[in-house]
Amino acid sequence: MDAFSMGLVAAMGALATVAGASEDIESDIGSQSNPNSQVQLAAQVGNPHRIYNKAISGEPPANALWAATAAIVAYMLITAFQMPAFSALVIGASVAALFNGVFSMSSYFGRNASQARFNQWIYLDIVRYTTPSIMAHAWITSFCIATISYIMAYMLPTPHPFPMPIIALIWGLAVGAIGSSVGDIHYGGEREFQNRAFGCGLNTMLSGNIVRKAEAGLRNSVDNAWFCTKFGGPATGMGFGLTVFLDNWRSTVFDPVTQAPYAIAMGIFFIIVMTLYANYVEKSARRKYGPYPEYKGDVAA
Amino acid sequence: MNFDINTIVYLLEIIVGGLLVGIGVHFVPVGGAPAAMAQATGIGTGTVQLAAGSGLTGLLAAGLMMSVTDNIWVILASGAVGAGIMIDATMLTGSWIYAYAVGAPFASAKVTYDPITGWSQPPYISPGTVGQGIPTICFVSGTIGGMMGGLGGAMIYYPLYLINGNAALSAMFAIGIFLVNAVLASWNIQGTIEGFHDPKFKKWPFAFRACAVASVLLAIAAVMITGGA
Amino acid sequence: MSVGGGAGGAPSAIDAKKLRIYGLVGSVVGIYLAAILNSALNTTLFSFVGAVASIFAVVMGANAVRRVCGYGIGTGVPSIGMLALGMGIIATMFGLSVAEAMGFGLLGPIIALVYAMVFGYIIGVIANKVIKFNIPVMEEGNADLSAAGTMAILGWSFAISGSLSYDAIVTNVLMTGYIAIIFIAGGLAILHPFNACLGPDEKQDRTLVNGIMIGGLAMVATGIAAISTQGLASGLLLTVIGFIVWYYFFMWYYRLTKRDASAVVGTGLLPPSAQ
Repeated sequence: MDAFSMGLVAAMGALATVAGASEDIESDIGSQSNPNSQVQLAAQVGNPHRIYNKAISGEPPANALWAATAAIVAYMLITAFQMPAFSALVIGASVAALFNGVFSMSSYFGRNASQARFNQWIYLDIVRYTTPSIMAHAWITSFCIATISYIMAYMLPTPHPFPMPIIALIWGLAVGAIGSSVGDIHYGGEREFQNRAFGCGLNTMLSGNIVRKAEAGLRNSVDNAWFCTKFGGPATGMGFGLTVFLDNWRSTVFDPVTQAPYAIAMGIFFIIVMTLYANYVEKSARRKYGPYPEYKGDVAA
Repeated sequence: MNFDINTIVYLLEIIVGGLLVGIGVHFVPVGGAPAAMAQATGIGTGTVQLAAGSGLTGLLAAGLMMSVTDNIWVILASGAVGAGIMIDATMLTGSWIYAYAVGAPFASAKVTYDPITGWSQPPYISPGTVGQGIPTICFVSGTIGGMMGGLGGAMIYYPLYLINGNAALSAMFAIGIFLVNAVLASWNIQGTIEGFHDPKFKKWPFAFRACAVASVLLAIAAVMITGGA
Repeated sequence: MSVGGGAGGAPSAIDAKKLRIYGLVGSVVGIYLAAILNSALNTTLFSFVGAVASIFAVVMGANAVRRVCGYGIGTGVPSIGMLALGMGIIATMFGLSVAEAMGFGLLGPIIALVYAMVFGYIIGVIANKVIKFNIPVMEEGNADLSAAGTMAILGWSFAISGSLSYDAIVTNVLMTGYIAIIFIAGGLAILHPFNACLGPDEKQDRTLVNGIMIGGLAMVATGIAAISTQGLASGLLLTVIGFIVWYYFFMWYYRLTKRDASAVVGTGLLPPSAQ
């Protein structure tokens, strides 16, 4: 291990953190993935809304597409035109953002048109001002992931054997999986349902009863980004950053050829530490919040 | 290709890898869309997506190891640990959101007492839901499931790479076999499961059979493919 | 992943059998036509024909997703698209490799297609018999999906490599990693149309037009990749044709959206029924 490769691993961790955060915010602005089921349901239970409805498959395949697009464009420019890596990655991310725009618009049109009987209108002004901010976040995500893939494939002391686009595809799937498991809860569990008491899950009776009004006027999806940037986005970034950083740190600090068992032991150590920490989070939440007052059973808290 | 005893070993490795993926999916606590609204216990995403995210992260780690060594145990362990780190980081940060943003304590609706910590669950279930968050039992189960997925991915990748010596081809194949098994398993659990303590977990033999048939067919095709130029 | 109203039994204007025949014949004929034109004229300019052929397969796949997911499979639409591509990638490489080993390189697509359909059918049988889905169209739906995934990967791989030879595809598509974009763009082209149009008022023509549009977008991506493997002329031709396909069908899709939506308004508050 030398200082240069350690710096690269640190840079990858930082890029991954940014990618995770922007991925989550992108999906929140567009209302993608699981929380979107409530946005979808809202119109069906008689609450038409002005929230974006970007149902581009699950987040993992969608983000895999942006990341892979950015990576293939960058790879093509680097191999065919010997373009400097940085500009190639920028152009790649821009193409990925354009793809994202097309997919986003087609979902907004498609989902809302399929709800005609519930009187859900299609608002073109939403398409005009929300889509660019979705694309902007997709640009950040795909740029960061394509850069991570570039570093892994060409710059680390032990270059990864997979081609750069395949690495980008896998990291894209991973960032999408993390984004939909972590950040989306902040959007679905809290932001969509700020009209109910804090500190509980969504009561099934309230399904579809999302908040549709803002401080002034009607809530739109950019407001949701404003809220989710405060915690959901950074936490997602933390999750993806930890994944990329810890995974590469252990195989960079410990030389995979001679010290592979140490690298594996280090990984197991991280897993144990994270399990203990999660247990601590659970314990502190139970202690601080206590049982629900509505509970009438005979199991002692 | 030459058909010899090694080919049979490779076939078996791919099949076992596929089965590990299929069974591993049953361990991952996924609550699907309701979990994203803190309406059900588990991670708020789809089974296939999370399994793919963690298993393929493990595949990346295994692929890196495979490029420098051919010790099967190191490669398999790398795959499992890589996947374990990814799924643990996901569940840990997900727990932060449940605890500090939604403000709900974690509870499982499928057991009265958490088998690992012994903590009571029903008093902490938010009214009108079937549990929320990721209690310790689910966390441990998820870690096991993620590591099985990574192990399975590495176990599919290892023989493929030995057969065709082409990292890119083997990786795409491993992704393909991984996805087929993960989808079949997630169909078996109908989208949501809490972990190995969930009654639904008892359905795993169906997935075992389904994944076995699928893996055999895929493995036979996969070992016949050469590495090309 | 998102849960919406299923279109239970999915009424359709175009019969599934007809679409399957269009899809299979269109994609097989297209790929062979492109391969023969390319090798006979010793050029790579006709690679775009292979990419267009993939779009036929995508339409067939999108329709199969629509039929199967109309029943509700409990895990959302994306999983089935991933399944299609997972089966497709193995079938494609298997077909090409075996055909090459037997000495009939041109038989590749047929072998791939047969393997894919048999495998998909078996997956459908497993899903119904072992996992107990009891969805009547599961077997044929999965066979269609698997075939669609295979032909989509094959057509776009051909569009990037410019030849059906196994070595060329491994070198130009696999080793470079361009398979990543084919894999995921193909998968989204098959699963996105129904997922994007999910809802009680989903219409078959709108869904399929969406599929063709996404297919055009995937052509643009393969065109970009082809620039480095086949040179600027073939790559740009592919990109431009893909863009034209995308633009034409995007406008068509927008027209259908305007036809089906309850209202398309420039701006405005909530509909009067729901103030």
